[in-house]
Amino acid sequence: MQVQKKSLSWYLTPIALAIAVLLPLLAGMRYFILNVVIIMLIFILFSSAWNFLAYSGQASLGHAAFFGIGGYVSTLIARATGFSPFATILAGGCVAAGIGLLLGLTCVRLKEWFLAMVTFGFAVILQVVIASPLAATTGGWDGIGSPRLLPIEIPGYMLYEYYVILAVTVLSIVCIHLILRSRAGLAFAAIRENEVEAQAAGINPVSWKLLAFTVSSFLTGVAGALMVHHITFISPEIFHAETSFWPIIYSIFGGLGTISGPVIGTVILTVIWEVLKGFGLTYERFIVIGLLLIIVVIFLPRGLVSLPEVLRERFARRKG
Amino acid sequence: MKHATTVSILLAALVLAAVLLAGCAQQQAQPQDLKMGAVVSLTGAGSNVGKHMKQSAELAVSEINAKGGVFVKAYNKKLPITLIVADDETKPDSGVKAVTKLTSEDNVDILVGGWSSAVTIATLGIVAEKKVPYVVTGASSPDVTRKTDVDKSYVFHYCPTTAMYGQYTTLFIDQVMRPAINEKFGFADSRPMRVAILYQDSAYGKGVLNGVISTITTGNLKMDIVSNQSFKLGEADFRTALTAVKAAKPDVIYAAAFPVEQTQIVVQARRDVNLNTIVLAVETNDNPDYYKGIARFGEYSVIESRFSPYTAPKSSVATADARFKADYVAKYGSFPDMMGVSTYEGVYVAAQAIENAGTLEKTAVRDALAGIRMPQKVEAIKDGFITFSPDYREVQFELFVSQLFWDEQAGECRPRIVWPDNLKETGFVLPDWYQAGTG
Amino acid sequence: MALEFDILLQVLFWGLYAGCIYILLATGLNLIFGVMKIVNFAHGELLMLGAYITATVFALSGLNPYAIILLTMIVLGLIGIVIERLCFRPILGTGKLNEIFLSLGLIYVFQNGVALIWGDERQVLNSPYQTVTVPVGAIQLPLDYIIIIIFTVLILCGLYLLLRKTDLGRAIRATSQNRKGAMIVGIDVERMDMICFGIGSGLAAAAGTLWVVSGQVFNPYIGSIPAIKAFSIIILGGLGSIPGAIVGGLLYGIAENGAAYFLGGIWKDSISFLILIIVLIFRPTGLFGESRE
Repeated sequence: MQVQKKSLSWYLTPIALAIAVLLPLLAGMRYFILNVVIIMLIFILFSSAWNFLAYSGQASLGHAAFFGIGGYVSTLIARATGFSPFATILAGGCVAAGIGLLLGLTCVRLKEWFLAMVTFGFAVILQVVIASPLAATTGGWDGIGSPRLLPIEIPGYMLYEYYVILAVTVLSIVCIHLILRSRAGLAFAAIRENEVEAQAAGINPVSWKLLAFTVSSFLTGVAGALMVHHITFISPEIFHAETSFWPIIYSIFGGLGTISGPVIGTVILTVIWEVLKGFGLTYERFIVIGLLLIIVVIFLPRGLVSLPEVLRERFARRKG
Repeated sequence: MKHATTVSILLAALVLAAVLLAGCAQQQAQPQDLKMGAVVSLTGAGSNVGKHMKQSAELAVSEINAKGGVFVKAYNKKLPITLIVADDETKPDSGVKAVTKLTSEDNVDILVGGWSSAVTIATLGIVAEKKVPYVVTGASSPDVTRKTDVDKSYVFHYCPTTAMYGQYTTLFIDQVMRPAINEKFGFADSRPMRVAILYQDSAYGKGVLNGVISTITTGNLKMDIVSNQSFKLGEADFRTALTAVKAAKPDVIYAAAFPVEQTQIVVQARRDVNLNTIVLAVETNDNPDYYKGIARFGEYSVIESRFSPYTAPKSSVATADARFKADYVAKYGSFPDMMGVSTYEGVYVAAQAIENAGTLEKTAVRDALAGIRMPQKVEAIKDGFITFSPDYREVQFELFVSQLFWDEQAGECRPRIVWPDNLKETGFVLPDWYQAGTG
Repeated sequence: MALEFDILLQVLFWGLYAGCIYILLATGLNLIFGVMKIVNFAHGELLMLGAYITATVFALSGLNPYAIILLTMIVLGLIGIVIERLCFRPILGTGKLNEIFLSLGLIYVFQNGVALIWGDERQVLNSPYQTVTVPVGAIQLPLDYIIIIIFTVLILCGLYLLLRKTDLGRAIRATSQNRKGAMIVGIDVERMDMICFGIGSGLAAAAGTLWVVSGQVFNPYIGSIPAIKAFSIIILGGLGSIPGAIVGGLLYGIAENGAAYFLGGIWKDSISFLILIIVLIFRPTGLFGESRE
């Protein structure tokens, strides 16, 4: 059974990738679909980054902070120096990682729901700081324009943007996968299950948790920078609670703590969202998302990816 | 990857869905109509305004279509307008999605709408790329047509900016209130007026603050800003801020706030904090709920406006004003607020520009908009004609200031225009209980 | 900024006033948390629902809004019980993170359900006592303000009597102190969970009613930030400690208004979180620690 599973995964992942690569052609190169899928890819990255942190038992409710920091740093540096956004995105990620490390230091000894509140509060405070005292640099509530990843003079630039963002996302997910498969992943899982026991087993929770925070913030900062350079504009609204909540919803719906969970969650919920929007439903969309979340938490706690397993178990129980 | 099967199946399903969506949305674009895109906020912070903007646009479109549509010379016939509404969710990324959809999927010929300045500015990139003329009817930040880092040559600003209302109100304070106060208390003309500003911490509130400050500086007016207090969007308790304002001893309080905030400011200032001073409100508050909410506490307060539920400037627009209000109430059961009326007119401006251009070709329509000169419709425009300024494509609305007087029969305050002189109904009055800041 | 004494006194009063709402929220949370140990960030939505129900009953019946408070508390108590049974009981014991995520779902459902039914404009209720004020020294205190303080005190007294003097109260206290022990002596802990959730929700409803009756603005989104602040208060005041919640609530109200006065209104929310973060940096288990977790 194990061997069969492995060969299945080696077989099907490339197919999924191939679909993603061919998507623009399959979708007829329509601008709007490319736009939606690019934003979806960025959220896949964002959700994966959040999920990575949650894997270590730290569920942040304020990840919009790093999303926004990545965006602002990248934009400000690009505008001031004229460097290509490709370089400044990395700078955005690094600064986000640095701040993530600092925040992580304050959070590392906190219970999970204290951490949730502290991260939420951090995003709230950051929004006020960026909008008011730092308004001279950040443009305050008016926001500032951000240069594109690729100039629009290049024909088909949207297509190139798509592939670049796809590459970054896939690369990041692969990195996450490798990290989780290594000792780090085992350490995270042990810490998440029971921190005291993990400590007794010789794992130092503090340094592993900080590592998780730093990596997660870095990737989130990169995602934020990508989003801002795609939309070509950033304003303090990016720190809003809703920006923090979406990656949480996507990850839980798809499957907390799995690699494919955030991917599936983002994809399916984005499609549902756009379809509902197409029907003209407004508040109902949010209610549907809320209900799906509640149902998943109660009945399918390991997320949508666990559905086949759960169904198989149900049938097995019935037969046996 | 443990759940690869599921992933791949789901991804494949998604792709299938996308392809199918691609297929069914590929309707033949009818060359037989004019496609107008409306960018409104149906959810999020701007949703109550967005509702009025959408409904006003629909009303205008139905009126135009009742006459057959817009005459386009290139096809030698009248084309009915098809209004396509997209929800920007009051968020920049969703706004970009909405405008992308309108301009690349629905292939609209022209855009109207836009309420949140941040969201609207975020969409300017795609508007410039697709070169679609955009008549912005709800966003109040001057940056919409003045921001330098994006190409705005297709964007036309059809609603007053915060700079404008900041300017008009400051001039009113200087030209009407200051002399009245000096006369009543025997102050010398050299005594500067003490102004306190209470502003919402947002692009809107800050824009008004900057408008006031720059008007004072450029006009060298004798006014001092003795206190400026900010509050967060959605704030409900202004008592502490008002206490701070009271400590600064102002002659007048200028509040840049949204309707329910403004109501609270007026009530709490007069009732709880005992500020015996005049409170000025900005135009977004001029709707029936405001008058109901402030009860008698709003007596003698002042509001800058361009479209009021209970009064209208005495000019050629008075009838059109009354008729629009009546039609809107009849169709939708409520007062069309400020952004509703500018969207209603914006649709007419867009239609007129297309008719003037004689074609649906976007650059020609843009040029027609730039050079348009049409008679004012429902709101008073300076000199009676709607034109876009050559530098920033803004329109000079004839803003007016009303003072609120208690109406025993209505059981609420009612506004009467007190400024400018060519529109006024009655003179500005300082009530007996009014206390100036200092001697 | 003039540091005149009576200006500061006024700011203090406004802080106490804001504190009352926080006290009611935090006390309700403490009750629920004390017995069930669950983190429900959707608690603020119960406040919001309370506000809407009161406003609607008022609009339909014209009754004095203060009289509606008991009705609203009962309705919300029932809603609370339903939420507890349907949503939180199934996930009891599966970890705090699940509770947080579930709360998120509930928040979305409630906020947007209300928006769908009532619209999401900001609304205001005009209390019949809106124009009445009572002079106290140099200040004119609105009568509504005094009534709110009286109601808060009455409700807290009622709660105290319930917990100290009744059998139910003893059972509740027993369950919160030692759940297993309580089960052994035959207390139906699941029933305790339900009852506490109901009472806690009723308290939130009271907070919501007082909020709306005092003429404050309400819309579907007023619940979320106060809920998180209420959680901060109980962390700082000591989890499960009702006196702590009272002191914490008052302090928070005063701190916020003080920050608004000295730093500017935009820092009102931030100061609450800043206090929390600073306290947690120095005492990661909260100000008074947690005796049972």
